[in-house]
Amino acid sequence: MVKADDAVLKTAAQCRHYAMCKIDYLGTGLCPPGKRYHYVSYYPQGRMDLYAALADNLIPVTEGLVHIAETCTMCGVCDLQCHFVTGLRPLKVMEALKDLVEDYLKTGGKPVSIASDEPLRRLRSIVGTEWATNDPAVLVTYANDPFPLADMRMPRYVVLPGTREEVASVVRLANELSLPYAVRGNGGSVFGFVFSEGIVLDMQRMRGIAIDKDNWSAVVGPGVTSFELQQEVFRHGFRINTAEPAATVCGNIVCTGTFSTWSYAYGTAADGFIDMEFVNARGEIYRLNDKQAPNVFAFENAVIPAPGICTEATVKLQPTTADEDGLLVPFWDFDEAVALARELGRRRIGLAVAVLGVHYIANFMSPSKALADRLKDVLPESLGIRYVVFAIGDRYARESIRQLAGPVIDSSLWRTLTLGLPRLLDREWQDLVKGFEAGRPPYEILIRPEMRPLIEAVLRPSPETLAGAVEEDLRELYAGLYSQPRFTDMTWLNMFRIVSSRMSRRKHMFAFLVYVPLDRNDVINHINAEFARIAAAQGIDHDFGFLTPMDLGKRAILEYDYYIDHTDPAERAKIGRAMAEIGPWLDGLADRTKGVTFLKYVFSQGCSRKENFLYR
Amino acid sequence: MILLTGGTGFLGAHIAAHLLEQGEEVILLARSKQGLSAADRVGRLLDWLGVEAGRKKNVRLVEGRLDHPGLGLEPDVSASISREIDEIVHCASSTSFAERKRPEVEAVNLDGLGHVLDLAGRSRCRRFHLVSSAFVAGLGSGLCLEEMVRPSAFTNVYEETKCRAEWLASERCAKAGLRLSVYRPSIVYGHSETGRSLLFNALYYPVRTALFLKNLYETDIHERGGRRAAEMGVRLDGDGWTVMPLRIMAGDGAGINLVPIDFFVRAFGAIREEANDGGLFHLVNSRQTRIEDIIEYTQAFFHIRGISACSGQEMEGKPRNALDAVFETYLEAYGPYMRDRRIFGTERAGPILDIKGVRCPELTSDIFKKCLDYAVQCGWGARLFPE
Repeated sequence: MVKADDAVLKTAAQCRHYAMCKIDYLGTGLCPPGKRYHYVSYYPQGRMDLYAALADNLIPVTEGLVHIAETCTMCGVCDLQCHFVTGLRPLKVMEALKDLVEDYLKTGGKPVSIASDEPLRRLRSIVGTEWATNDPAVLVTYANDPFPLADMRMPRYVVLPGTREEVASVVRLANELSLPYAVRGNGGSVFGFVFSEGIVLDMQRMRGIAIDKDNWSAVVGPGVTSFELQQEVFRHGFRINTAEPAATVCGNIVCTGTFSTWSYAYGTAADGFIDMEFVNARGEIYRLNDKQAPNVFAFENAVIPAPGICTEATVKLQPTTADEDGLLVPFWDFDEAVALARELGRRRIGLAVAVLGVHYIANFMSPSKALADRLKDVLPESLGIRYVVFAIGDRYARESIRQLAGPVIDSSLWRTLTLGLPRLLDREWQDLVKGFEAGRPPYEILIRPEMRPLIEAVLRPSPETLAGAVEEDLRELYAGLYSQPRFTDMTWLNMFRIVSSRMSRRKHMFAFLVYVPLDRNDVINHINAEFARIAAAQGIDHDFGFLTPMDLGKRAILEYDYYIDHTDPAERAKIGRAMAEIGPWLDGLADRTKGVTFLKYVFSQGCSRKENFLYR
Repeated sequence: MILLTGGTGFLGAHIAAHLLEQGEEVILLARSKQGLSAADRVGRLLDWLGVEAGRKKNVRLVEGRLDHPGLGLEPDVSASISREIDEIVHCASSTSFAERKRPEVEAVNLDGLGHVLDLAGRSRCRRFHLVSSAFVAGLGSGLCLEEMVRPSAFTNVYEETKCRAEWLASERCAKAGLRLSVYRPSIVYGHSETGRSLLFNALYYPVRTALFLKNLYETDIHERGGRRAAEMGVRLDGDGWTVMPLRIMAGDGAGINLVPIDFFVRAFGAIREEANDGGLFHLVNSRQTRIEDIIEYTQAFFHIRGISACSGQEMEGKPRNALDAVFETYLEAYGPYMRDRRIFGTERAGPILDIKGVRCPELTSDIFKKCLDYAVQCGWGARLFPE
């Protein structure tokens, strides 16, 4: 029917569904039709899927598709947004989709009109005509994710309710019609849980944020993303524990509970909210703070359904101080890095703490995959850095860390290294840096205060220097972004987490998260080694991700990442075999080791008390 | 037939070329690295060394891994080598001073040696040549004899593992009835006549650093107004020279013991030929080079003024700038070699080298210039081989 361009299709198929095109995280504005029509189909993410679906003949050219294609203004915002985190250039897909549809119409093709049916009419009577559809061009963008072990599940309807009452009515209607339903947040689904052959509810329209300063809380609708809420509370001088920027706040809480480096101080799961409102499976509205509400604070080490559809969360606001800043303590040895992180936890020093591997550091800093790959080699080989303890704290905390740990990369040096990154990787400079080494790793010399003028002279850090690492036509835009202090501000970056998706720039990421006892290095090392062994046996790219201390350094959350090309069937088979091995191994380990819990079992139990899964 | 390990390294490659020139047949144990096959690595090294095509036929390449038990060889390959070899020259070594790399340094310098000795023990080989280092003498001063030593402390993990390797080789060779020759060179640099070298660390590193800094600040002056150069007190003199104030704490030691690669190879050959019963041999320079001389050569070569050698006392209490700090860092690693108060005895090696007419040249400004010309020309090793 339509002929797709292979190169464009390759880009379209690589969309990771991280939904970064659905938030204005660069301050460049949002995709205009996405902002207006809310369905993911109108965002670049949906258009990438649509192009791939057309190429696979999964859908016809429908009236909905024609509208989606025609409303794209080719403004180009998506190109920078997507490139910033994934390195992809989606604009050519947007253009190709428009061209395909235009050619189809020009050559006499008629858009298919999808007939309404009774369930759709009733759904529309609940939410309004515009906010429920059965057009395949919309449905297909809610049918799949890069999760490679789940097949596509095309829903019959997609609904965008605007109020809790509408959500409740949709649920009751679904029950009456015996239609299954699923509710979608914003981002990709790690385990393929958010698809349905019946109704998919997209909560995009419920985007209310109400700040109650006196109660240190914010009431948040289920369509509000972490980035948007953080932005709003930050404006009032507060902070929230933050999920991935494009993840919805409510969805994230219900799913796994919000965890991040800030969980070091703010906890996770039930620590993050004051109250929540749900629509249960019968279509009834209840709040957790009702005496009669189901006990969602308990935890069962099993995969169980969510307590309902969250229609509102009252989340905790956290205080900030003007002297907060970040620092990094480099390490060669993992156990030494863990020991420092644990010590900080025990002594209650700092607000956000994590042990990070070089893959994370390299990707956080680098605006391009090529630069990240080189930095990933250079950090251990030339600088002697395999891990860092990352911390955010006030000036007292930072001073304590210096006293405990010795030399640190402070925020100013971090900015210098980031903005001078391409020159940091120059071969000649690298050779010289390597030559510094003897009893002490080279980074110790580099971070000496007296070395700063030399480093500044060598790296000549500037937004333009860093922008030199990306394609020529994007350099001016990148230079503009990096001339804004927040883009090299460790605290801001960690609060808004805008660079975290860069981890998946090389391939789609499979994140395995495990709660671990932080005083058991043997267990932590065993987990890392076993993840590495299983990945190596299957030929899967893999890396240590991060480790964040929790609950005063008694426990921690550990992430180990696998990377696969989700479009490659051979890679899908590999991850399938790996997961078949990981499940029983981790279950066995958790059964016999106190403090070990696989996050898979916290899915849908994100409202539970953390103590119930950390201390089983 | 001689088995040679480390044949793709600086010393090993030169020894390989020497043995081939002597008409020996050599089995080279090598591995692929950085995208190059073992054959490619060896092939381009032999070309670089100018080994004639006829001699190259006497090289047999065996792909193996020093850090693997059995050297990673198939049993039939290992058995065949065992039947053929008369001598082993063990040159392979990790020269890293980095404490963080201790596991890999130990893996190469001790475990790797152990694996080679395993093969030696079950082979027909009767002579084992171990390339070690004069610096197994460890921290200290005074006369260091050509004998087995057990120093109480070392400068770095390299020295320590080389010393332990000597003991390991000594014990295992004695048990296996192998005659052991241990060669202990000091710091080896390029060819004294041609300046050619394969490695640009040790002597070269501080010189290269000085050039890097000079170029850095000259560019700052020419292209960016010279603010950063001014911060460091760097300026251009009218005569095309650059003033770069930089203090290097030279101490009051005797200097640095340097031998050119051509001396090392000839000394190795002479001792191998003459000392059939084995023993320990210092391959060192009877005259150490003063830091002040290296500074003078460097300044003259690169047209720099302002670098000075200071004593610790002179440096004390005075603020260090970034340039001082860079060199201070270098001296943390290489200071014990640059301010060396050790005297390496040559009671065994000396007479042999005298008989064979092998003498170690002093590092003169002329030799320095040849070596640096070559280093700069080949981009400090980046352009050693044709693309």
